[in-house]
Amino acid sequence: MTLQISLNGQPVATDAATLQALLLAQGYDLATAFACAINNGFVPRTQWPERALQNGDRIDVITPIAGG
Amino acid sequence: MTTDTLQPTPWTVGGTPLQSRFFLGTSHYPSPQVLQDAVTASGCQVLTVGLRRLQPESGGGNSFWQRVQAMGCHILPNTAGCHTAEEAITLAQMAREIFGTAWIKLEVIGDDYTLQPDTHATLHAATELARDGFQVFAYTTDDLVIAQKLHQAGCAAVMPWAAPIGTGRGPLNPYALDVMRRRLPDAVLVVDAGLGRPSHAAQVMELGFDAVLLNTAVAQAGDPVRMARAFADGVAAGRAAYESTPMPEHAAAQASTTTVGMPFWHGA
Repeated sequence: MTLQISLNGQPVATDAATLQALLLAQGYDLATAFACAINNGFVPRTQWPERALQNGDRIDVITPIAGG
Repeated sequence: MTTDTLQPTPWTVGGTPLQSRFFLGTSHYPSPQVLQDAVTASGCQVLTVGLRRLQPESGGGNSFWQRVQAMGCHILPNTAGCHTAEEAITLAQMAREIFGTAWIKLEVIGDDYTLQPDTHATLHAATELARDGFQVFAYTTDDLVIAQKLHQAGCAAVMPWAAPIGTGRGPLNPYALDVMRRRLPDAVLVVDAGLGRPSHAAQVMELGFDAVLLNTAVAQAGDPVRMARAFADGVAAGRAAYESTPMPEHAAAQASTTTVGMPFWHGA
């Protein structure tokens, strides 16, 4: 089933059933330093393989940048 | 034996012993090499970093992170840009996973023009994060009562601004900072934001603040590397002055040279 989600603020249609499947399908390198949230709630990395996606989920993927 | 009298005395924040009392931000430098050289020149042991969205095609943003990791400093991730306690709490949880540290520089902005923190939301987030095991470095205003509540909430450090972020204006209300230091003698207090010159850093360190945190004043200087060293010297001088107990001020002049034995004066 195709889900309509928002990934980093952009609309995405995906067949991925889990967060990890979505990340891999979108081309993220899981070895990279990043963290994820769904609907503004933190999702620990250990939960990525099992965390099921729902239609309308808002997903944020963040990484370190320069900051003060 | 020669003693470096400006060598800062060791101190502890967030459960970590430190020698340097100078925290440095990593943004706005002319190049990564200048950042690295400035960090070396500053002698700092704590670097602040931010967090933003990662696009898969961007290569992971890892070049910055790998370079910062190689500098060997403690990392203080921030929640810059958050406008609610809930956003800041989620970002702190994400930062803890990425960096493997319980340290978080808590910023919850209340006004976009001045970047003045929303102190109520900051207190709410600080309370939740401290309860969750975070070492919270809370960016706040110079409001004494909020600082007291942040300290009571278990913050590792309370960090009042000297002036709005990036203005370089120096302490706009030295009286408030002085009173905060006196009223919270047991709190770790770090002046964060608004410092523009090494004399500003020395000024607040002379008041007894435990450290300063700055970014733009170094990064946007004509020579960031020399300015980093200048700030390090200012911080060290201010701390040494504080520990040396400055003389009390007097309303009237007091001659340095004794009047006893003054020539040309004849009573008879």
